[in-house]
Amino acid sequence: MSKLIKIGLPSKGRLKDESLKVFKKNKLLIKDSKRNYLSEIKNFSLNEVVFSHAREIVERLADNSLDIGISGFDLLKESLPGIQKNIQVFSSLNFGFADLIVAVPDAWIDVQTIADLEEISFEFKDKNIGKLRVATKYPNLTNDFLLSKGLTQYKIINSLGSTEIYPFTDQSEIITDITSSGATLKANNLRVLKDGNILKSSACILVSKKSLKDKNKNKIVTSLLKKFN
Amino acid sequence: MKSKKYSEALLNLFKKKGFKVKEFENIIESKIIIERSGEIFKKSLLSFEDDNGKNFSLRPDLTISACLDYIKNVKRGIYKYAYFDQAYRRTFGKESLVRNQLGCEIIGSSNLQLNTEIINLIDQSLKKVIKHKTTIKINDINIFYSLVDSLRLPSRWRLRLKRHFWRHDYFKELIMRLESNSDLQKNVFELDKKSYIKMKKLKKNEKIAGRKINEILNRFEKKIKEPRSNINGARVAQIIRDFLNISCPLENAKNELKKFETKNKINLKLNQFDIFNLKLKNNDAMFSTNIGRSVEYYTGLVFEIYKKSKNLNLASGGRYDNLMQTLGAKTKVAAIGGAINYDNILKL
Repeated sequence: MSKLIKIGLPSKGRLKDESLKVFKKNKLLIKDSKRNYLSEIKNFSLNEVVFSHAREIVERLADNSLDIGISGFDLLKESLPGIQKNIQVFSSLNFGFADLIVAVPDAWIDVQTIADLEEISFEFKDKNIGKLRVATKYPNLTNDFLLSKGLTQYKIINSLGSTEIYPFTDQSEIITDITSSGATLKANNLRVLKDGNILKSSACILVSKKSLKDKNKNKIVTSLLKKFN
Repeated sequence: MKSKKYSEALLNLFKKKGFKVKEFENIIESKIIIERSGEIFKKSLLSFEDDNGKNFSLRPDLTISACLDYIKNVKRGIYKYAYFDQAYRRTFGKESLVRNQLGCEIIGSSNLQLNTEIINLIDQSLKKVIKHKTTIKINDINIFYSLVDSLRLPSRWRLRLKRHFWRHDYFKELIMRLESNSDLQKNVFELDKKSYIKMKKLKKNEKIAGRKINEILNRFEKKIKEPRSNINGARVAQIIRDFLNISCPLENAKNELKKFETKNKINLKLNQFDIFNLKLKNNDAMFSTNIGRSVEYYTGLVFEIYKKSKNLNLASGGRYDNLMQTLGAKTKVAAIGGAINYDNILKL
């Protein structure tokens, strides 16, 4: 069995910068590397640091090609149950705060709650103008939330970015999206529903459950995790 | 093989009564299901995309397959389907992806005699094949709708209770919300006067995210006017709970419901329901207001058949007069059908 452990860190943006700060604060020195996506912790036993997309880190932890990683709680919860069951949340970190919310156009002044939305969705159905379209980068969390709140007559539109403009470009009627300050939503004439909070998220340290079960890796993984306590 | 013996025997009995054994297409366009049921059913579909980006699914349910076959190949008149085949659904536990479905459907008629015909056919066929006594449970979902219409409730609540009657857990949550009046608090709704006045000046036909200004303003005004705090939610919730506990021999059903009407000072308009006049061959028939709630598309009579001694479900079915249109039929096509709980039969 390999004693090498692999650590996945976000490859760009604030998530990357803040993750590196967490390692530094806990006296784990990540080597400067000419290779953009590979590095290592200098002062820790045999390891490899892999910089990946935050969404990929979750998937690689689940298939155990990574042992430890930092990613968003929202991305973990969005993943399929089969992926989530292979990952343990070790701790929440003090950055990457964001809420996944349901937002409607500001001008929909008659819609304040999901119950209102449910009525609107049936209006769409009854008028045979198709289903109420919900644009999102988080189809699984959105489905679970909306169905639990009684909304059934809608259709998910998968979005990869700029979700905020979907309602005003006839790509969807409403959206669910991640927001931290709400400024982007406001700038795009969108409003969060009163009971439209789907999930509170932040960055997390995640561990592959297979690594914890592996006799060889368990000790190394546990000793690295202890540094973050 | 037990499985083959039962399926062949049942299909032969169905054939003798004029049903045609059909095989359906394995693959259907996912859009048909999603446009009908929204995302709630999409989760269960085993789907894939073709080279043109069109999404297809393995058939998730053979009643739907029979309806699609009728729309494509039969088009008009009465058609009696019988089938024994596999349906495929994504599973979230240990259940198999493949489900054996044996059933029969009569599509193309709203004749109420067919209600009796299909229940008798399934019940009597089961009796012959499995050689056990059966008991039938019967309900008409419209009696619940009639109850809801007779209660003092805002129209929004009436619609909500009807729409979600088939979703047990969410329905329970709704009743609890109704009981505590938590959905009726004034502070849930805040008057945004500024936006309202601004929007009044806009062109009424202008659309914002798919909705006309006119529609938004009308609904806004309706919400302000609708009484919100003077509903006796606790009483209404109790009446609904009591109603859903009614269970008695079918022959006593009308009397029981009349007593319920008197006690709660409501009118269920019972004369409009034919359920009390069904001529069933099995004398062991119960009326239960709480059955037939697991399938969203049922529109009237629903039934469940059990093995008497073990209370083991052997079959269930019901009338679905609106399903065909939502699957693409150009006009309303009434239908009724039932499916054998094949896994339970194999347990006997």
